[in-house]
Amino acid sequence: MRSFPVTGGRSVSLALFSDVSNSRELLDLMQSGKLEPEAAFINASLVPDVFPVLAAAHKALLSKSRESLTTRTLHSELVYNCSGSKHITESLKRCGIADDTQYILAARFDASDEEMKALEKLISGTEIDLSELETRADQPKILKQYKITPQELSISTLPEAIVCRIAARDAL
Amino acid sequence: MDISQEQQQDFGVLLKQGAEGRVFVSTFVGRKCVIKERFSKKYRHPLLDSKLTLKRLNAEARCMTKARRLGVPTPVLYAVDPLQHTLTFEYVDGLCVKDILLGFGSNGINEERLNDIATQIGNAVGKLHDGGLVHGDLTTSNMMIKNSTNQLVLIDFGLSFTSTIPEDKAVDLYVLERALISMHSSCGDVMEKILAAYRKASRQWCATTNKLAQVRQRGRKRTMVG
Repeated sequence: MRSFPVTGGRSVSLALFSDVSNSRELLDLMQSGKLEPEAAFINASLVPDVFPVLAAAHKALLSKSRESLTTRTLHSELVYNCSGSKHITESLKRCGIADDTQYILAARFDASDEEMKALEKLISGTEIDLSELETRADQPKILKQYKITPQELSISTLPEAIVCRIAARDAL
Repeated sequence: MDISQEQQQDFGVLLKQGAEGRVFVSTFVGRKCVIKERFSKKYRHPLLDSKLTLKRLNAEARCMTKARRLGVPTPVLYAVDPLQHTLTFEYVDGLCVKDILLGFGSNGINEERLNDIATQIGNAVGKLHDGGLVHGDLTTSNMMIKNSTNQLVLIDFGLSFTSTIPEDKAVDLYVLERALISMHSSCGDVMEKILAAYRKASRQWCATTNKLAQVRQRGRKRTMVG
């Protein structure tokens, strides 16, 4: 677990889990709004670095402070913002978790240590270090999902290309 | 005055001020960044003003990311704020090509470095034009060389637009040529080197260079009336 300052004194805590066996349960809890503490679950195979997630978190907090969230909660906004598409359902499906997702990045805004411990208990899997993100990322899937061309990759790193899409999404 | 000082504190340290906006240095989730703010023009009708500003803001974000998709290095876009009219992007550590060329003028030319820069410019512009993107303000102050990699980075897409017409591309090159002649005549014929690289990089160079010859004769504006 690591906490990152984002903007305006607010922070986001991230924890990475592999071999998660109860994603169906987590998904049900989340969708019924009973997840306690509330958190965002991101499909970690699409995340090669924490920076795109932080950019998405920045964007979510900004919309929240202006009361202009596109989705229902701040945490679902984070998942939606991780995608380069404006299609909400599709974005939540792709960047969020499914019944059989085993590799999950959990995120919570302004989390206390107790809250993150409670969250760790909810997820039955092994917590691994965030530095594993890069090696475990599914590059072909990322290239396809974010429509990243080989030309772009010749001048840019993968996380940077994703950040550009996250930032420019609403300008398109 | 009070208001502008307050805003400056909000965005970070003022770096440059132009007619359309201000540029600040700040940090974005732990990384050094540049914030470009398009301020509102008080002489315009508020509704028209916000529409124009927003349209140009979004166009700039689109063009910058499109350029990257075409394989032309531009700063990484970190965030777009449609309410405060700001773009946040990567801080590029380096000098602009204008300062480097002016340095050649006063300290003698480093031929190897000059050739490298000219080739990179020609390559970048060629790729941009082949992808149907026109920069609109190709001057040496809108090009930077990254200190760490010596890579050329194009900045300021505030005037760029998409176009496949040879005329627009030729005018783009013509603007660069005029800028080079007026600022850097002591560096020799840089434009020739740039065009040589451009021809190699662009598949549509033939139509563009033909048009460039026409544009040279008549100037940037197509019609000379009014």
